[in-house]
Amino acid sequence: MTTNGSRPKGLLTTSVGSFAKPEYLQQARNQFAAGKLDGAELDRLTLQATKEIIELQMELGIDILVHGEMERGDMVAYFGEHLSGMKLGGLVRSYGNRYYHKPVIYDEVRRERPITLELWQYAQSLADRPVKGMLTGPYTIVEWSFDEHYPSRRDAVLAMAQVVRSEARDLEQAGAQYIQIDEPALSTRRDDLDLAIEAMGVVTDGLRAKTITHVCYGDFASVFPGLIEMPVTQFDLEAANSNYDLADLFKEHGFPKDKEIAWGVLDVHRHSVETLEQVKAGIKRGLEVVPPERLYIDPDCGLKTRPWDEAAAKLRVMLQAVHEVRQELGIE
Amino acid sequence: MIATAVGSYPKIPNRPRPARLRNAINRFDRGQVTEQELRQIEDEVTIEALQEQAEAGLDLVTDGQIRWEDEQTYLARKLTGVSLNGLLRWFDSNMYYRQPVIEGPVAWREPVTVRAYTFAAEHSAKPVKAVLTGPYTLARLSLDQHYGSVDALATAYAEALNAEAKALQQAGATLIQFNEPAIVKHKDDFPQFAGLCRRLVEGLTAETALYLYFGDVDGIYPQVLELPFALIGLDFIEGAPNEALLHRTPFTKKLGLGIVDARNTRMESVEHMAERIRTLAAGLPPDQVHVSPSAGLEFLPREVAQEKLRRMAQAVRQAEAVLV
Repeated sequence: MTTNGSRPKGLLTTSVGSFAKPEYLQQARNQFAAGKLDGAELDRLTLQATKEIIELQMELGIDILVHGEMERGDMVAYFGEHLSGMKLGGLVRSYGNRYYHKPVIYDEVRRERPITLELWQYAQSLADRPVKGMLTGPYTIVEWSFDEHYPSRRDAVLAMAQVVRSEARDLEQAGAQYIQIDEPALSTRRDDLDLAIEAMGVVTDGLRAKTITHVCYGDFASVFPGLIEMPVTQFDLEAANSNYDLADLFKEHGFPKDKEIAWGVLDVHRHSVETLEQVKAGIKRGLEVVPPERLYIDPDCGLKTRPWDEAAAKLRVMLQAVHEVRQELGIE
Repeated sequence: MIATAVGSYPKIPNRPRPARLRNAINRFDRGQVTEQELRQIEDEVTIEALQEQAEAGLDLVTDGQIRWEDEQTYLARKLTGVSLNGLLRWFDSNMYYRQPVIEGPVAWREPVTVRAYTFAAEHSAKPVKAVLTGPYTLARLSLDQHYGSVDALATAYAEALNAEAKALQQAGATLIQFNEPAIVKHKDDFPQFAGLCRRLVEGLTAETALYLYFGDVDGIYPQVLELPFALIGLDFIEGAPNEALLHRTPFTKKLGLGIVDARNTRMESVEHMAERIRTLAAGLPPDQVHVSPSAGLEFLPREVAQEKLRRMAQAVRQAEAVLV
């Protein structure tokens, strides 16, 4: 376990972003959606769940925390609901019998007030170590919304980049040391890579906080090597789920010396808990690419796919594996 | 000129109208309604889709693919040799499909879409066209553990779909449409694609159509005009270069004009669409032109989809009045 003030010199541990919502919160959200619960009560339960997930991560001994995204249903709709110029549209089917309200950009997008700041501040106030700021990237917000306003996708994405930039600045000003800006839509339109990189540049330009973007494995391989130009400090990568093939990709093509990797060593889609040996071997694959001070260790993806007890069991193995590898390296 | 749709229609309306099919499927999953009751709701919602298309002013409709989970699963689940895997993103959309896994030789066993087609034809005020996903797109979106090449798998799918098309023809379908978005993403495969299209339509006497959307045909045009279909549908929203191609080499088949954005809620004006139709259909006999959205309409909320069709149909009537 890491205590405040004696931060290890490498292999810092973290999480990608989301945790599962506890049953009481999920029920409250359903009731709120059906008009059977008032907003104040939902907010109270959201804070409660946030507090619980922060405490769980600290208890486990994770170095860099996430606030768990208890307030968010969908990573795009959440921003769509809070920006002026955007609203939730009608129901659209995503698969099977699942439908969602796809956001609509109907006017110039503007941020009336900070969106994610208050909950981040609350989470950080509970923690004696850094909590990541979590944002959705401008390209993804636009690409996964209807756009009825802007003349082109480029206009919309660059306007959205200004909004996300303000949010990132506010988080930094409030003390966030790590700000994650995710662009999962990028892999679906490789032709737009330059636009997404340009927009990310708008968001991260001049920030002193470390900036991170999370990319799923298949996505990373498909947009490699162009994606490596993305102006962020750290790539948070799904590695375990593809048997650490990314290590070979980087060994072959190189990985920039000025960038960090957060290396996913837990498959979030499996119930079964990884063995200590599996995770240690996975960490060592990551060390083939970058030295420990530039290598962070985390699960492959958001742990919202796993109930808390399963998530905790997996994280415990991860932390033990990190501890043992650090000792082998003489950095703990 | 024919105002028509490309395939899917949104399955549920928005509040205050009830989401009957969604509720029925939820209850079916919990064992609270029987399969027969669920089929009954599907029938009723199919009738709604037929009516809404007719009310919007379409001349030729589809059954809305109301029963289709996605454009792969519905066909694949009834073919021999295919099982279904986890969810994957469908092209660059926010929709997902179950990936068909090819575990052995693909073969047609029994009609898949015939009952739905017959039901729609019997309950529609307007002529109904049959719509199938094409063999190349099915093959591209499958996980092949048997054939070893896209071409071999696509040919097997083509044979299965040929049997399905013949069954549709037998049931009275006069126009059978194949949707092939994947080929515009993999134009290098066009020579093989041409071969499997011949296998696909072999022995068919019904009129056939091929719809190519989510991109343009630059690089495979005018070759697509050699394909054995009476009608070819093109996407002028995501396939902007198609306009210049048409300008350079005149279209020699019936033309499907996809001019309404099926993937964005922004409303096109009637005047704008009428102008687009006049420009793009210039020089073609009006009865050779099928105007439609760029793709299936399930990307949109139901009310938006119907309003888009309504405006499109008005634009068709305006454009016609000038051309005739």
